[in-house]
Amino acid sequence: MHHHRELWLTKLFNDYLPGLGNAFLKLVGMPAEPRPWEGFIVMQLLVVLILVALFAFLRPRLSMDRPGKLQHVFELIHEFVYNESEGAVGHTGPHYIAFFGTLFVFILSCNLIGLIPGFESPTMIPPVPAGCAIAVFLYYNLVGIQAQGILKYLGQFAGPMIFLAPLMIPIEIISHMARPLSLTVRLYANMYAGEQVTLVFLTLTYFAVPALFMGLHVFVSFLQAYIFMLLTMMYVGGAVSHEH
Amino acid sequence: MKVKWILLALVLFVFATPTFAQGAAPAGGTNWVAITSGFAMAIASGLCGLAQAKAVAAAAEGMGRNPGAAASIRFALLLGLVLIESLALYTLVIIFVKVV
Repeated sequence: MHHHRELWLTKLFNDYLPGLGNAFLKLVGMPAEPRPWEGFIVMQLLVVLILVALFAFLRPRLSMDRPGKLQHVFELIHEFVYNESEGAVGHTGPHYIAFFGTLFVFILSCNLIGLIPGFESPTMIPPVPAGCAIAVFLYYNLVGIQAQGILKYLGQFAGPMIFLAPLMIPIEIISHMARPLSLTVRLYANMYAGEQVTLVFLTLTYFAVPALFMGLHVFVSFLQAYIFMLLTMMYVGGAVSHEH
Repeated sequence: MKVKWILLALVLFVFATPTFAQGAAPAGGTNWVAITSGFAMAIASGLCGLAQAKAVAAAAEGMGRNPGAAASIRFALLLGLVLIESLALYTLVIIFVKVV
């Protein structure tokens, strides 16, 4: 399904570092290949590198008395994630903003990097949103067990009354399994469809007209990253909520 | 009233024809998978369009009646729109997986 021409950065990785890629493949038991680096792996590494460099640049410039412009931007992001987590999870929400904020910034950067010519969105390839969704699934279950203890957490699956349990448990298990699936498909399909729409209109009309669709894709990127984070918060809220 | 729905269905089918381009006829017969996928995407998109229209209409009326609650209504509207949108996208993903 994914037969793109290789990106220039992937080509560099495959020309100069095939041994490193094959070492990673051998770690998980896969056979070595002539060009092991995939486009989306290289793009994710690039996004991580950019984000780490950005935060490393920001950290020495944080100041209480004279905040700079970059600090204002990150204070906005922090306050946004903080307020959303208080709304969705409750007053214990801000304990978890490290995970929520990282998810939001990572997915947003992955979505937006595809707009730059020569790069592609790693979230356009199914394993990447699937990885984020599996991380969310493990995180909210572990946080629920940590907040309530394993017996009380598993007791949530039995529903409000004990005699309803044989009915509720399969329903709850299926709906919990559907959560990472829907997170993955929502993010992947939005990003993939955004690129395909631009390409299809590129073959139909003049050269610069599909830029309108890229503008729409920017809006969709922000919205999908926000929705991913919001649904994560709602799942964490559901997992920790039965304390009071 | 009936003519309106027939016209709407025809317009939806016409807009679904780009998905036919992905289908290739197997050696002996017609590619039913491509035809069915066109109909499936049209139905999914049409119903999701109706659902989103209802959500937007309710949100707009709510914001008109109570402008102070506009932020909460806007939040509920966005959440609802994205969840409805993802239902149409599930159909699209099946098409991508199944159509040759």
